Amino acid sequence: MCDTCGCQLHEHHQSDSKVVEVNRSLLEANQKQAESNRRHIEQMGAVAINLISSPGSGKTTLLERTIEALKDTVHIGVIEGDIETERDADRIRAKGVPAVQLTTGGACHLDAPMVHGGLHVLEHFAKGKPYDLIFIENVGNLVCPATFDLGEHQRVILLSVPEGSDKPVKYPTTFKGADLLLITKTDLLPYFDFSMDEAKDEARILKPGLDIIPLSATTGDCFDPWIDYLKGLLQR
Amino acid sequence: MHELSLAQSLIDQLLDLVREHRAERVNRVVVILGPFSGIVRDSFEFGFNILKQSHQATDQAVLVLETPDPEYHCLDCAKVAIIPFPQQDERLEMALCHQAAKKCPWCGSNRLSPQGGTELLLNQLEME
Repeated sequence: MCDTCGCQLHEHHQSDSKVVEVNRSLLEANQKQAESNRRHIEQMGAVAINLISSPGSGKTTLLERTIEALKDTVHIGVIEGDIETERDADRIRAKGVPAVQLTTGGACHLDAPMVHGGLHVLEHFAKGKPYDLIFIENVGNLVCPATFDLGEHQRVILLSVPEGSDKPVKYPTTFKGADLLLITKTDLLPYFDFSMDEAKDEARILKPGLDIIPLSATTGDCFDPWIDYLKGLLQR
Repeated sequence: MHELSLAQSLIDQLLDLVREHRAERVNRVVVILGPFSGIVRDSFEFGFNILKQSHQATDQAVLVLETPDPEYHCLDCAKVAIIPFPQQDERLEMALCHQAAKKCPWCGSNRLSPQGGTELLLNQLEME
């Protein structure tokens, strides 16, 4: 047994070894790139939003309706993250907005270096015209994306009615990191056992004072508060 | 989750530090995993112990993982509550008596908001 600390590792306090205090984050490389992305986005003239949710909660449908509401007055660019296919980017391009598809080939989240590449492509599409708003649609996943800063200014989490109102308490890290929570697909409330109070209360235990907007991107119901929130970001 | 890629970034940082300090190998490395970091200890350790074998400088490295006790802010009495995670052998007992729900030790409320605890830090390194 080691005489110095009582551990079982015989060799580890020999005289020629040295101990170094480091205290450096394992996410340091991602964090540095994220800070650089944020400056890059600001130089492009824009505010960026990282959209995080489970697969199928309506991120792309939200973007389609948002683009329709804003595209005449706001220059929007979209970075789409998916494991495979260009389908989401194609849906965005069909609305007349530049979109870059990042396919991760299996990775369950976007990271800052991937988004850096996407920003350069978006810049190329704009031919020098500044952007106002950049959406980064993360890979559908309520776990891993929470750990990776992409260089966004706001992190918006979506929770759709069919998923159930217990999602915040089950995925606390993601919901705690939210700047805004959108409860989507509210047109389906009559068909699901979804408690709006439970979802809101539990999200606000994780993040006291969290702004929450319930809406439907299909019917457009309660869409105005979301659009107002976006306009508020652009005026900052 | 992405424990393997985090274990890889730990190995990369270790290799850089070994070069920087003109050392030959890492004997021991202490990593702090915050209680709310979302990182699974066992997967991280498993990934590290496979990846370390690819480099002479790390293949003998012993990984020590430390997780501080989780800290909560009670939304009802506004006090700070530090509630240690149950040990492996306590979990079954707690499940049997339905005591798994966290409660504020001061006022009994279950409205406990997690504070901090998302860190993933390479804390200390012993090299030779």
